[in-house]
Amino acid sequence: MGTHLIKRVTFDGINFGFLFLVFLLGIFTPNEEELLNLSKNSLVALGCVVLGVVFSLIINKMGIKTLGELLFAPPHKKTVTSTPVIWYRTFWGIQTAGTVLLMSVLGYFVTEVNVREVLDIENIKNVLRLIEQLATPNWEVLPDVVWKAIQSVFIAFMATLIAVPIAFLLSFVSAKNIMGTTPVGFVIYMMARTLFNIMRSIEPIMWAIIFAIWVRFGPFAGMLALLVHSIASLSKQYSEIVECVDEGPIEGIESTGAGFLQTIWFAVVPQIVLPYISFTIYRWDINVRMATIIGFVGGGGVGELLLLYQRQSLWNEVGVVILVIAIIVWLMDNFSAYVREAIK
Amino acid sequence: MAGEDYILKVKDLEKTYPNGVKALKGVSFDVKRGEFLVIIGLSGSGKSTLLRCLNRLHDPTAGEVLFNEKDIAHVKGQEVKEVRQRMAMIFQHFNLIERHSVIKNVLTGALSRTSTLKSLMGMFAKTETKKAKEYLDLVGIGDKAYTRADQLSGGQQQRVAIARALTQAPEVLLADEPVASLDPATCHTVMDYLRKVNRELGLTIICNLHFLSLVKEYADRVIALKDGKLVYEGDPKEIDEAWFERIYGEGAKEVHVN
Ligand SMILES: Nc1ncnc2c1ncn2[C@@H]1O[C@H](COP(=O)(O)OP(=O)(O)OP(=O)(O)O)[C@@H](O)[C@H]1O
Ligand SMILES: [Mg+2]
Repeated sequence: MGTHLIKRVTFDGINFGFLFLVFLLGIFTPNEEELLNLSKNSLVALGCVVLGVVFSLIINKMGIKTLGELLFAPPHKKTVTSTPVIWYRTFWGIQTAGTVLLMSVLGYFVTEVNVREVLDIENIKNVLRLIEQLATPNWEVLPDVVWKAIQSVFIAFMATLIAVPIAFLLSFVSAKNIMGTTPVGFVIYMMARTLFNIMRSIEPIMWAIIFAIWVRFGPFAGMLALLVHSIASLSKQYSEIVECVDEGPIEGIESTGAGFLQTIWFAVVPQIVLPYISFTIYRWDINVRMATIIGFVGGGGVGELLLLYQRQSLWNEVGVVILVIAIIVWLMDNFSAYVREAIK
Repeated sequence: MAGEDYILKVKDLEKTYPNGVKALKGVSFDVKRGEFLVIIGLSGSGKSTLLRCLNRLHDPTAGEVLFNEKDIAHVKGQEVKEVRQRMAMIFQHFNLIERHSVIKNVLTGALSRTSTLKSLMGMFAKTETKKAKEYLDLVGIGDKAYTRADQLSGGQQQRVAIARALTQAPEVLLADEPVASLDPATCHTVMDYLRKVNRELGLTIICNLHFLSLVKEYADRVIALKDGKLVYEGDPKEIDEAWFERIYGEGAKEVHVN
């Protein structure tokens, strides 16, 4: 009962609060300077949310079903009405429609949508000229581009290769069925899980910025960035495989008097090798894609050239880079799909 | 010589699972060396729990298990592994490593006396491999040594499990419903091999069974569990209607008659 109420009130509060806020925006039409006053505006927004919470409580007390109630009502309260009501005759239906409508109006201004710019004849001429240049690549730079593209593939390869043994060991530490049996194990499991989630939520491009300062610009920085991200991602994926293993063989090996490592090696590892290989190749594939753009922030690879040519508006050269990246990504994609299909 | 030679003496054994379920509520019985003991009882009466408390796959909550007069109910660490090695176990679902060959499965019975490093590299002693093959011959599947375990039928897989158990060089063989997932014909083949192992190698066998016909055919002695307590101990031939009703509850009689 309690959590349902909290969820409903939070949802409705933010929803109604948003509606009130847009309403205020319409009345006061603040100028740019006023819009950037973050501390004052947060207070107003908070006030609106509080008002929304109160509003939600009142409305539901009156027996009118809000969207929050519809979404979070516990199963036993989700009664089916005998006569189905059309959505626009219900409060929650109007609440949803109103919110989506207001969001799109607001979004129109925030993203500075400008259809005229898209259809402007001068602009179209410009873009056609760009496409023409991209489509007539300057093959003289091809050797440079191919060399840097190979560098990208190896950045991805090294990152994946080094990540595999580390993630292999860490995946057992972060698997609930291996670690969750003792209190100490559970704490380690929780810590590992949290750490991986944080590491994964930081995009490789951020890691590349950090490592470009740490070990200087270049492919090594890019490799380290992808390595950190790969360790976190692979550990998570691997440990989910470990959590799905059949317990039977584990019991079978334990019953022979085998030790902990022997049990893992003989009962768990045979069950996980194929999915591990599959995820690893897929990770390499993803890493190659990322290695082609990581050069934008100093991580080496073909992205460096893309940035270089784009800055100088060398569109014939950019055309070569785009083509080479497309070919490499296409090749890796097919290779990884083929291998994963073959070992299934 | 003071009477019988007991390999196991179980005294007031209790097991409460972490979730609060009392699976064993003070069970006491003795097991004679070399006998074929069968445990019967309804589903959920605690048969599997009892076997796992004997070989220490589970930790008993209270009570004693005297194994050759030494209490092993609460030993720790290395001693637990030794208990498991000396009381081998086979399971309803065989619990083999399906992707590995039969011989590799049987060799895992030797893990407790192979160093971790050597076993991880697959380096088992020559004598172990020879022993493993002998046991495969004993259960009649010597020709399947290099087949993948999951290519075998259920009955053959259970025989591989028996060979793995024998490789442990155990004194007791625990069998948790070894034939429950097999068809009736295969059922008898596997039970016959258990009897062979019991008679020819002198291994003490403790076996959970569901079918009363099998109990009467193979058991030297029977104990029955109900709700985690011992309700019968004796000769299988003496299980009459009244006992049956007591073990399986009111109404079970009709099922039996049908
Ligand atoms: N790991 C466990 N955690 C908690 N409770 C368990 C666990 N294993 C078994 N139990 C409970 O303990 C009781 C005895 O279970 P047990 O598996 O020993 O019975 P059984 O006689 O082997 O039954 P079956 O014939 O179904 O195999 C049951 O109530 C069961 O739900
Ligand atoms: Mg059972």
